[in-house]
Amino acid sequence: MSYKIPMGPFHPGLEEPYKLDMICDGETVRDAKLHIGFNFRGIEHLAESRNYIQVIALMERVCGICSNVHTLTLCRAMEELTGLKPPPRAQYIRVIVAELERLHSHILWAGIAAKLMGFKTMFMTSFEIREKIMDILEAISGNRVNYAMNRIGGVNRDIEDPQAILKMVEALELEMMHAVIPIFTTSSTARSRCAGVGVLTKGKAISCAVVGPVARASGLTQDIRRAAPYAAYAELDFDVPVQTDGDVRARLLVRALEIMESCKILRQALAKLPPGEIHTEGEKFAFVTGTATTRIEGPRGELLYSVSWKEGSKTPARIHVRTPTFAVMPAIRWMVQGARLADTPLIQASIDPCYSCTDR
Amino acid sequence: MTEAATLLESISEKLGISTPWVKKGDALWLEPGQKSVRDVAQAMNEVHARFVTITAYQLLGDQGFCLEYHWDLDGQLLGFAFRLASNSVESIFDICEAADWIEREIHEGFGLNFTGREYEPLQLRKGDTPGVNLREVKP
Repeated sequence: MSYKIPMGPFHPGLEEPYKLDMICDGETVRDAKLHIGFNFRGIEHLAESRNYIQVIALMERVCGICSNVHTLTLCRAMEELTGLKPPPRAQYIRVIVAELERLHSHILWAGIAAKLMGFKTMFMTSFEIREKIMDILEAISGNRVNYAMNRIGGVNRDIEDPQAILKMVEALELEMMHAVIPIFTTSSTARSRCAGVGVLTKGKAISCAVVGPVARASGLTQDIRRAAPYAAYAELDFDVPVQTDGDVRARLLVRALEIMESCKILRQALAKLPPGEIHTEGEKFAFVTGTATTRIEGPRGELLYSVSWKEGSKTPARIHVRTPTFAVMPAIRWMVQGARLADTPLIQASIDPCYSCTDR
Repeated sequence: MTEAATLLESISEKLGISTPWVKKGDALWLEPGQKSVRDVAQAMNEVHARFVTITAYQLLGDQGFCLEYHWDLDGQLLGFAFRLASNSVESIFDICEAADWIEREIHEGFGLNFTGREYEPLQLRKGDTPGVNLREVKP
């Protein structure tokens, strides 16, 4: 006999509010429907009443984890509309902050995934390491969450002592190599809870158009940093980790390997940081009428901003944000089909969902 | 001619469009002319492009709405802009599964109808009205 189990919008198994209505046969999930919008904030509408300085601060609040990538994508779009090009040093600083944010996001996710696996020690270890990443971000920007680094035509703060940051990154890399990566990639607890669970096949990943680590765990190879390089990524050497199993373990492995690639990018970017200005001169900007669409590879995948402006206006005519979680979340329906009910919190967490981004 | 350029040319040919692709920002744009969104979605499926999103704009005065459809072809963002004379447009959900949520969101945000599909509420709660979030109310 089939029965429906509603999970959420407020539930201990969910990190943020959304609802999963699951149709079950015994302990097996047959189908599921997703509902979002419980914290919908109307930020796209609010943006239409903010000027070109205020709108950067507003869009930084779309997400509390990947706040920097939102301002980076927005500033890139506004730079298209003003014809400004950030100086090379600013492009490298943008890469450094973006990669530190990716590390912070992936480690935070690793901690939450560990908690859902019943692996509390790993949860504590991950959060301890995350604090150190936040210390580095604070050393650079003065802030732990909303870094306020990006502006039109560059960045707001310089990295005055790259060697000191490099030392912190190297210490962090060692800790991750000794603690997080081996445990997540080899431990029997992680394998038994994650292998073969919540599979998203490559075919379904293509038809759902999923992005980021979820797509790369299902055999798709795209990473916007490589496919359509921005900032200084074209000048840096890194690999794009891809797995083919499409299960929770594959998503875990992709993120674990991405942590190592981020450290590799950080070491190069800090060593090659070019001298010079960190932003173009001037505080007033002349926008042309038009629309600019820009993308970046955030920690959760491709983030797109479409920004429309009218010449002479201080406020945008329209800002549309397509967040990675918005693209990936519908695929949860296919991941939970055939899964055990007890695995569904881990499966939904395996996409590293951000409902703050989704309910922007 | 590179592989990417050949693919872009094949899309123009499939759609019977002779105007060139225009680069704006990160995206290449093709003016769809008389082609429908479904024709474009079908052509994108045939070249295995990944659906990215739809951006809706309300135009000035009584000019209606504009919908910009985006696909990704091997890392190149492609854009097609459609002006809507009315408040409705054909849905591409049946040929492009990934368009489901964004069509529902635009329906709820702007009050536009995507014909040929049914909606379940995505963000609106009981008693809310489509079009209240992003549609400008004109006197």
